[in-house]
Amino acid sequence: MRWGMVIDLKRCIACYGCQLACKAENGTPPGVFFARVLKHEEGQFPTVRQLFLPVLCNHCEEPPCVEVCPTGASSKSEEDGVVSIDPDQCVGCRSCMMACPYSNRYFNDKPQHYFPEGPTPFEQRRTAGHQTDIVMKCNFCKDRVAAGKEPACVANCVTVARTFGDLDDPNSEVSRLIKERGGFPLHPELGTKPSVYYLPA
Amino acid sequence: NDMSDITGQSAKDDWVPTSCALCYGSCSILAHRVDDVVVKIEGNPESVVGKGRLCGKGVSGIMTHYDPNRLTVPLRRTNPKKGLNEDPGWKQISWDEALTEIADVLRRLRADDPRKLTVQRTTTVSASRTPFLAFNAAFGTPNLSAAGGGMHCGNGAHLLSGLMHGSWSIVPDFQYCNYALFFGASKGHAAGHASASNMGMAAEARARGMKMVVVDPMCNFAAAKATEWVPIRVGTDGALALSMCQVMVNELTIYDEPYLQAKTNAPYLIGPNQRYVRDEATGKPMVWDVQFGAARPFSDVKAADMALDGDFEVGGVPCQPAFELLRRHLRKFTPEWAEEITTIPAANIRRLAADFANEAHIGSTIVVDGVTLPYRPVAAIAFRGSQGHMNSVYNFFAISLLNQLVGAADVVGGCLGFNPASNGFEETGRLAYKPHPDADGLMKTGTWMGYHLPYPIAEPRLPEKSGLQDLFVFGLTSPFLDSDDSEDLWQKLELPYRPEVMMNFGANLLMSIANKESVANSLARYKFMFSFDIFLTETSAFADIVLPDCGHLQTLDSRSNYPFIFSLPAGMGEWCWPIRQPVLPPEGEQRRFQDVLLDLADRIGIRADVNAAYNASMNLAAPYRLQGDRQYTYEEICDAELKSNFGPERGLDWFKAHGVLKWPKKPEEVYWRPFADVRVPIYWEFIVPVYEKIKAITEPRGVHVPPEYYEPLPDFLPCLSHQCKAPGFDLYAFYYRDILHTNSFTMENPWLDEAAQLDPLSYTIAINADTGRQKGIADGDWICVENEKGRKVKGRVHLTQAIHPEGLGVAACAGHWGDGMPVAKGKGVFFNDLLELDWEHSSPINLNLDLCARVKVTLEKEGKR
Repeated sequence: MRWGMVIDLKRCIACYGCQLACKAENGTPPGVFFARVLKHEEGQFPTVRQLFLPVLCNHCEEPPCVEVCPTGASSKSEEDGVVSIDPDQCVGCRSCMMACPYSNRYFNDKPQHYFPEGPTPFEQRRTAGHQTDIVMKCNFCKDRVAAGKEPACVANCVTVARTFGDLDDPNSEVSRLIKERGGFPLHPELGTKPSVYYLPA
Repeated sequence: NDMSDITGQSAKDDWVPTSCALCYGSCSILAHRVDDVVVKIEGNPESVVGKGRLCGKGVSGIMTHYDPNRLTVPLRRTNPKKGLNEDPGWKQISWDEALTEIADVLRRLRADDPRKLTVQRTTTVSASRTPFLAFNAAFGTPNLSAAGGGMHCGNGAHLLSGLMHGSWSIVPDFQYCNYALFFGASKGHAAGHASASNMGMAAEARARGMKMVVVDPMCNFAAAKATEWVPIRVGTDGALALSMCQVMVNELTIYDEPYLQAKTNAPYLIGPNQRYVRDEATGKPMVWDVQFGAARPFSDVKAADMALDGDFEVGGVPCQPAFELLRRHLRKFTPEWAEEITTIPAANIRRLAADFANEAHIGSTIVVDGVTLPYRPVAAIAFRGSQGHMNSVYNFFAISLLNQLVGAADVVGGCLGFNPASNGFEETGRLAYKPHPDADGLMKTGTWMGYHLPYPIAEPRLPEKSGLQDLFVFGLTSPFLDSDDSEDLWQKLELPYRPEVMMNFGANLLMSIANKESVANSLARYKFMFSFDIFLTETSAFADIVLPDCGHLQTLDSRSNYPFIFSLPAGMGEWCWPIRQPVLPPEGEQRRFQDVLLDLADRIGIRADVNAAYNASMNLAAPYRLQGDRQYTYEEICDAELKSNFGPERGLDWFKAHGVLKWPKKPEEVYWRPFADVRVPIYWEFIVPVYEKIKAITEPRGVHVPPEYYEPLPDFLPCLSHQCKAPGFDLYAFYYRDILHTNSFTMENPWLDEAAQLDPLSYTIAINADTGRQKGIADGDWICVENEKGRKVKGRVHLTQAIHPEGLGVAACAGHWGDGMPVAKGKGVFFNDLLELDWEHSSPINLNLDLCARVKVTLEKEGKR
């Protein structure tokens, strides 16, 4: 099987719920976003279009980040296709960040917290456990998925723009949406074969 | 790296059902509590309020709760001088010391004149306002204000939604609507009542194929997701709506005749004095009965026999049906006229009107859950953008007429009020309410939010309220508590007292009303001010005593989403009653404001009155009524309300365990209009005597109230800012509500602040790219924005194609300068500093402020602040 995600750009309103639900779920430090929302405008007044693009690790089938990792810390699971980083093996060389064409990897250089006064009780519990001097990124909320839940960004999306499922199963909702609605990945020309697809706005 | 927040890691691990309070939507949440730390907030899927999913603000509530800048002890100022540049010199005091002093002040004040107390609160606790209503009523002051709420967000919107839909707000029936016209509203795409639920329903509607046309000076939020964005000159929405009405009525002659006959006052005969022609015997308004060929009381005539057109004579008096007058009145609002005002091409106005009229499918029906109902799948809705002007009444009235003309009001697919009718909770028969008619057949609301009812309009009188709303009876909240000329107005209008003490709850009115100098002057006039806060705000710097309140994860509320007309999603689905309950204990010496108000009531000796006021405010059933001056805890009061509504087995303990109670809505409740014998006013006959009475009070006292604001049919009246002719002042500055922020409050949340810093617009000034270039301004430049009176704000420019060439857009309520909220300090632009606060800039009918400012922009030489 291969976990994948479909994001319906017609539904997304750029509320940042995914970005912040991810932060709450994973306790990521300042400047680190496993899920982000990008905004872009196209056209000239008055025929202008606003484009909202939620992004996260694409969990590529051909992940360039895994290829360049010198220690084997970055790997793709044979079982479900999820690309993850083993923090115990990561030496923080950041080659993977250079290799990722989508800029969805982050370097956690030092212990960080949001208020200068020190880590909040939330951060002591949820952020302080993150190892430093290593690279971090989205792992499709594998602990949630193992517990039978959807990834946090999917479960929380107010516009129900995100669908999570098995791309290898032709009958899954993600496969159906991609087929019926013309789902597309970002930068297919790079040959990375992302597992995150978008439906046109 | 165990990253995800999963369950089962500790023996002390639970999910507590409660309610968000990062905005007034009050979505139902589950707080994940592990070893007494909240590690995650998720939406509660058991509730329809948010439907288990949250916006970015809701999930970020953890960081508001754990902010080290939260107040934890009562503070007293040591510097007697109050001003923008005065340091209060805070000193920690005990609760007993604080409450003894406050109670002494309040006791003396109440004995002197209770009206001298002004109570100000933030809109983010609108659903939790019962304790204030009870305290105020018991104390005896009529002066309750929601800071910027009302005159910014809803003095027009809520008035019209109440008059026309029996509810606080309106929304398209997302489940069935096919063509939604948004006028300066982001409902379903950013802020607003039931915001998260609406986001889900609007997305579903778009996916289903609902067309959405968004009229807005700026293409963000709703406009960004629209089928078509219609850029409009700031503040001219009413002109567009009137012109669309003209096209529908006089060019296309498409309107819903049976609806107008049965559900509006369109057939009521109007005499030359602009008043109803009334039956001498019954006093009822007359209509022309085409079967009888005579005028008869409306209640005696079949709706289908009521004339809508023509000239008649009744008892020698020439008269016309109200609709005939509307038809004639609309003729001057041609699309060519509107093009000049709105900048929208006449051809587009005609196309929009034709699309709206045709998509309404007048005459059609649909079956919903086995019930055959009128089907009008179009809706024109509006909110802050179109109503934030001096002409907000007419703007909203004109937009409302679009729905009325095609019968798309509270029917399937049309414009819905939020839950104006409910059969209540079946097991107890409680909570039932629905719109009902007055003697003239016009609609009175079934329930309301406090303040005065939208209809019948109250009798104007010499003011007892310092905001003058009992004279200007269309106004909900008022600028005259804080305005530059309030003393002048109070003198002229003989206000029999002066405000002396302010009790503030969380409102940062220094930032939320208008320019800070005007508001600071008014705050400094109070002899004593105390403030319940969770942070020290710019406003609490004017307080004598600051009391540390509990936050949304520490407090209790038996009705976090009631009344249902406020933030329960409209349309089919479920009735849902969630509560708010403490997940975490207070930090330091924080105390819940509800408990403090009860404590103060005991110290002042008004507990019996407070109990009586709670009985009234919560409408407690006989067995649960609070007795005498018994010192109930707030838990006991909440328990009484819940048992009173839902039976003895469903008290506070039941709700703490279950979080929400829900039951299905019936089509007859949601689409109540065909089942209620009420009419709504397309012609405001009642405005004529109201104006006469206001004039009789104001004119002899030297206050001129312009009559053009008090006509029975809407007109386009430009804001004062539109009349500015000063050279160089060529942009209309306006603000909008950012999706990441609520009022001035959430900028202190470091997660939301971080996201806002990455957003191209949250903290910048949006100007059309071509306009900017013509002025030599580049993207990212620092500019100074100046209004006609020389008030200035500065900020960084974001050049964009997505804004009208004459517009200048700023996200609201940013630009904190105080030290109490250090994350927020210096972020974004303080738009309200461009707003004047006086009679001249207020609507003479509903006291709405003129929220657009004519400005000129100049490049800051240093390239920075």
